[in-house]
Amino acid sequence: MSELKPWLALMMQRRMRLLLGALLMALTLFSAIGLLALSGWFITATGVTALLWAAGQKVMFDIYMPGSGIRFFALTRTVARYSERVYNHNTVLSLLADLRGRHFAALTLLDGATLSRLRAAQWLNRLTADIDTLDTLYLRLLAPPLVALLGIVLVCGLIAVFHVSLALIAGAMLLSLLLALTLGMALLGLHYSARRVEQLDALRVLALEQLQGQAELAAAGAIERHRQHLLAASQQMLSEQLVLQGRVACGQALATLGVMSTVAVCLFGTIQAYAAGVLSGPVMVMIPLALMALSEGFAGLPAAFAQGGATRAAATRLNQQVAMSSRLVEPLDPAPVPSELSLHWQGVGVRHAGLQDFDLVLHSGERLALIGPSGAGKSTLAALASRLIDPDCGVVSVGAAGPRDVSLQALSLEQWRARVGYLTQQTELLHDSISANLLLGNPAATKEQLWAVLELVDLADLVDAMPAGMNTWVGESGTQLSGGEGRRLALARVLLKDAPLIILDEPFSGLDAATRDRVSARLEPWLAGRTALFLGHDAALLPRSDRVVLLGD
Amino acid sequence: MKAITESGRRSRSWLRQQGLAVRGLLRAAVLAGVLQTLAIIVQMGLIAWLVHALLIVGLPFTSLFWPAGGLLLAIILRAFAQAAQERCGQHASARVRQQVREQLAADWSLLGPVRLADRSSAMLTNQWVEQVEALDGYYARYLPQQWLALLSPLLILLLVFWLDWLAALFLLLAAPLIPLFMALIGMSAEKISQQHVLEAGRLAGHFLDRVRSLTSLQLFGQTGAATASIRDAAERYRSVTMRTLRVAFLSSAVLEFFASVAIAVVAMYIGFGLLGYIDYGPAGQLTLFSGLLILLLAPEFFQPLRSLAQSYHDRAAALGAADGMAALQVEAASVARPQMVVSGSDDSLVQISGLSLDYPGRDRALDQVSLDIRRAEVVALVGPSGSGKSSLLHCLAGFVTPTTGAISLFGQSPGQQPLAWLGQQPFLIKGSWAENLRLTAPQADTSALLQAIEAVGLSALLAAQPQGLDTLLGEGGRGLSGGQAQRLALARVWLSDAPLVLLDEPTASLDEHSEGAVIVALRALAASGRTLVIATHHPSLMALASRRYHLEKGRLADV
Repeated sequence: MSELKPWLALMMQRRMRLLLGALLMALTLFSAIGLLALSGWFITATGVTALLWAAGQKVMFDIYMPGSGIRFFALTRTVARYSERVYNHNTVLSLLADLRGRHFAALTLLDGATLSRLRAAQWLNRLTADIDTLDTLYLRLLAPPLVALLGIVLVCGLIAVFHVSLALIAGAMLLSLLLALTLGMALLGLHYSARRVEQLDALRVLALEQLQGQAELAAAGAIERHRQHLLAASQQMLSEQLVLQGRVACGQALATLGVMSTVAVCLFGTIQAYAAGVLSGPVMVMIPLALMALSEGFAGLPAAFAQGGATRAAATRLNQQVAMSSRLVEPLDPAPVPSELSLHWQGVGVRHAGLQDFDLVLHSGERLALIGPSGAGKSTLAALASRLIDPDCGVVSVGAAGPRDVSLQALSLEQWRARVGYLTQQTELLHDSISANLLLGNPAATKEQLWAVLELVDLADLVDAMPAGMNTWVGESGTQLSGGEGRRLALARVLLKDAPLIILDEPFSGLDAATRDRVSARLEPWLAGRTALFLGHDAALLPRSDRVVLLGD
Repeated sequence: MKAITESGRRSRSWLRQQGLAVRGLLRAAVLAGVLQTLAIIVQMGLIAWLVHALLIVGLPFTSLFWPAGGLLLAIILRAFAQAAQERCGQHASARVRQQVREQLAADWSLLGPVRLADRSSAMLTNQWVEQVEALDGYYARYLPQQWLALLSPLLILLLVFWLDWLAALFLLLAAPLIPLFMALIGMSAEKISQQHVLEAGRLAGHFLDRVRSLTSLQLFGQTGAATASIRDAAERYRSVTMRTLRVAFLSSAVLEFFASVAIAVVAMYIGFGLLGYIDYGPAGQLTLFSGLLILLLAPEFFQPLRSLAQSYHDRAAALGAADGMAALQVEAASVARPQMVVSGSDDSLVQISGLSLDYPGRDRALDQVSLDIRRAEVVALVGPSGSGKSSLLHCLAGFVTPTTGAISLFGQSPGQQPLAWLGQQPFLIKGSWAENLRLTAPQADTSALLQAIEAVGLSALLAAQPQGLDTLLGEGGRGLSGGQAQRLALARVWLSDAPLVLLDEPTASLDEHSEGAVIVALRALAASGRTLVIATHHPSLMALASRRYHLEKGRLADV
């Protein structure tokens, strides 16, 4: 269970809130116990008193104290339950909100190679589903058994006042029950509950394949076979789930059996003690009834602990993310960024991209086109230049292409990236307005500047004609922009950044020839005086360059 | 508003329909639940009787052996019945969920790739996996509990009524107040929880968006701002969730309140009655036995109602999920599948005569198209987008049934014999090269696979793979370039011996370099004697064809 340690430590930072929450939970249980035990005592006492009165004995019976006690417990129970729930959920939810912010912040520091290890949807699952799963840690796994334990101590303490050996027997029975329902259930459920997330994931992939491949599968007459495969996977998951649920059902039955047989055993014990004259009649009834009310504290344990594997699996995945650290070097004492921006890749190697011992100089003020097929390493060189990744060997340096050049790793990451405008091959647009997408390039840009860059990429007229203009929503499901228009918007954003070093990776993909020529011409004056690196398959599809370098297969 | 109640009614009747197959199991769950209540009554009765016999009647405790044994038995029976109820519900739910998945998958096939294209496959996948799972609680817990919330309190009430009708009246008065108050709270809860679902969706969207754009955020130095916006969104989500929860907790607090107060009132009433302070009604006949039994049964009277309240959100979840699934089913059922008349019997020709296709609410997709295609011919369908090229391919593949006209594929009607299809996006599964190739030709041996790879010019790439044909591909062919993925899909076409190959814009999403490689592979495919029908507007693909048909607004134009 060491996976949970960091999370427990994190929760300990809010221990006062958690402790208060657990106390409220305990108060709810104690009121339930008080209500039933006192009512039982009261009824039996009145019954016995009535019998004595009938026999002509003059005994006093105060009905007001127990009466107000019963009313008190009934009210406390309701109030404590409601405030416990609201208070605890608020604590846990704000903890989760905090975790989300923290995890995202950690994510933004990672280098490109580490980030590409998982898909966006997987990172998203960490931030949402996995963090959500952690709410069970306190609400279902930590507090309830603790409260059940407190309940056992309270009730057994109460019994011990009257009958010590009976208290010991009840305590032993209830403690072993608690152990079975928590640790026992956790062990029984571990395997199946941990598997569920991956099973659902696999099922999703299969279903998606069935849908996306429907045309090919149906045409080839293979759809029935694939469907059987899909349904078999679902059946398999349901069968395993049934095994787990069966164990939970047994656990719940065991909880009932355990508490109620403790009640029965203690009833026999108190009957015997009553017969021996050790206990009074009302106390004889009160003790088993107090135990009976304790069952409320056990009822939720089996289901919660059987699902413990899911919590542990989520914690493990999150721990893996926490353990990932950026491989980008951040110097303690960064060198100033040189004014000349000649870029020199010296014997660089990047293992995962298959790049080895690569040399290239991009001179300050030069426009260089790197041409090669996909997979030749163009994007890797650009990622090195913008420090999305650092090389495994060799060095990328900047300066006047002389001995005084400084390695990019000696510069502050933030300061260096501020000098580079890089249009990546993948168009990444936020699901937000056109202006919000542009402002990412320069949050301080004025309206005029925004329109100016839209004009550069030949989008100004189009955006102007849109009913919402600059506030038009774009992004994943934004159907307002075509692929080529989205590409130009991404380009406009890079232009807005106004950086001295520009890297454009297939800037005109998805653009028709006429638009390409138009944008290319408008870029000419803008590119003057900047150092630029263009990447693509074909130099004809890039802005005009001074020099072309071919990258081989 | 009317539309909402309409869809609510459809969801409810759909849920009922799905439950028909497991009626037996659900009844067994209810029966087990009733048995549990009976065992509880016996258990509480014996406890009360033991106390009464000892304290009031004064029986010696040695004579209480048999009732004590009975008590233990009742407890065992109670636990057993509880487990049985759960188990029956769980099995019913698992069976319903599998049955719904079968039904949905069958609906997909009925609708076919063309009609499904309107829906996002991510949405359909979510429906098939998550939303079907959301039915679990409804069948496993809510449905049996709905009956038990009526039957169990009724049983207890009858007994209490027989013991003391006034005490029964207290319980009876409290019970209907509970659903009333809960309904009042529930109404506002529904609105809030809809808002919650909306906000949860927004939060996920917000996250996904930021995560997808991480590289851009890093390059533009905007990670700090993005983190702040994530924190804001998470905090907003917390406060919306809390608003939902407060209302939900309030409704359970109402239940709790009535249950607690009813127990307190019953306890006071019995106490005063036993002391003889109440000299009206049945209070005079109260004994310690009946009094204690009523007290012990009072919490059990409310317990089924509390369980129902707890599984009430199961119902809401199931109703929400049912809506979309019922809609899909209705649409699938409306698909007409008339048997098409095969016009020609010439098995050397694909014959299309007088073919028209209408989609409701749209312009006519195909209008009186007639053409013949010979075996081993390569035909290009050209024309602007929306001219009906794809629709014609869909008719040939049997994905849609034409409104009028007839098609004969080498003497058979469409959909009768396997053919090969290649779309704009290559379809690749998450699995090895071999698994991808065998998808439509499961019996193909390794040498056949290698031949197909060779034919599409991927041998060199395969040789570079660490585990050869067993090398895993990522989802959607990640790790391959667009052209390589399309050629791998083409290798599958090569491997199938389907005589007719339909290609819908096979190079539309490729760059020129990759396009060239795919065209080389297609030429080899044509040379192997297959009949190719290609919908395209790429000149180099048109050059491959021996004949071209030009489509314009669904009509065959003269070339």
